[in-house]
Amino acid sequence: MKPFEEAWTAWLDDQLTGRELSEFLASLPDKPAAEAEKAEAKRLGGLLRRELSAHSMTNEEFFSHQLREKITQETPKPTRAGARQTVTSTWWSIPRLLCTGAVSLAIFLIFTVAVMRERNPAEESQYLSQILNARVDPVVSPNATVSIFEVKQDRVTVLWTEGLQSLPADYAAK
Amino acid sequence: MDRSLALVIAVTLIMTVASASQAAETVWSGLVMAENVAQPQPIPPELTRIEGSLKRFFGYNQFQVIGQSQKLLRTGQEDWLATSKFFGLHVDARGESHAGYVLNLKLYKEKELLLETEAKLSKRSPLVIKGPQVGGGQLLLVLVVQ
Repeated sequence: MKPFEEAWTAWLDDQLTGRELSEFLASLPDKPAAEAEKAEAKRLGGLLRRELSAHSMTNEEFFSHQLREKITQETPKPTRAGARQTVTSTWWSIPRLLCTGAVSLAIFLIFTVAVMRERNPAEESQYLSQILNARVDPVVSPNATVSIFEVKQDRVTVLWTEGLQSLPADYAAK
Repeated sequence: MDRSLALVIAVTLIMTVASASQAAETVWSGLVMAENVAQPQPIPPELTRIEGSLKRFFGYNQFQVIGQSQKLLRTGQEDWLATSKFFGLHVDARGESHAGYVLNLKLYKEKELLLETEAKLSKRSPLVIKGPQVGGGQLLLVLVVQ
């Protein structure tokens, strides 16, 4: 004998006949409710069969094919005009950036050069020591000359004298 | 609150130290004998920063200090003397500016004035004066703001 659930399912599918059907119907506690439930199940089954069969796929290839078709339909084909438009928009954005950068750089350089030119003389005069004037006693060293070197690289200023009176080595004493 | 107070104190200290260091600076002035010798002595520490320049300009391999003076300048109006046995360098500071000091320099051989010059000594730039030939060497006058 089939268990109740199995017999219930078979009854819903109209698979019970003869003695099995009569025994099952006798075992139902509320026959009208069971009949109503069976009718509802049949109606739902019919609905599901109807709806699902419309979207059923036969195989994977068909599904993939359908999918590719869909993608192809939805992707717009690039026309010559469209391509030109795309290129044009890219061409405009990059040159604009380049132009902006170049102009900014040029302005920066102009101002930098201007400021440096203005500041350099003052900075150098502050940076290096300066000889304002120099005088050698013409009586003691009549042929003496003086010249000035400013070595910016070494930050040293040199007053260079020539023709001063030469002295013996004794004068090197501490 | 504590952080702000600490910051204010730190800034004040830095400014105080900075202004103090600006107000008082030391000028080193030296009479230097430059010579070429077989075994040169190490250069004095005061001349280390300009060693390369001295050797390149004057062509000597030994520089020895025969007289020197270190003067702490507070007003920029001080004067001082650096002397050796025969030479004397009189330095008369005649004012301080942001760039340095205006100095009147007089080189004496005993009591005889050999050279007089007026210079603006920058705080970042040493001043070197080529003096007379002494024996096989050369007398140099060097002034450096330390």
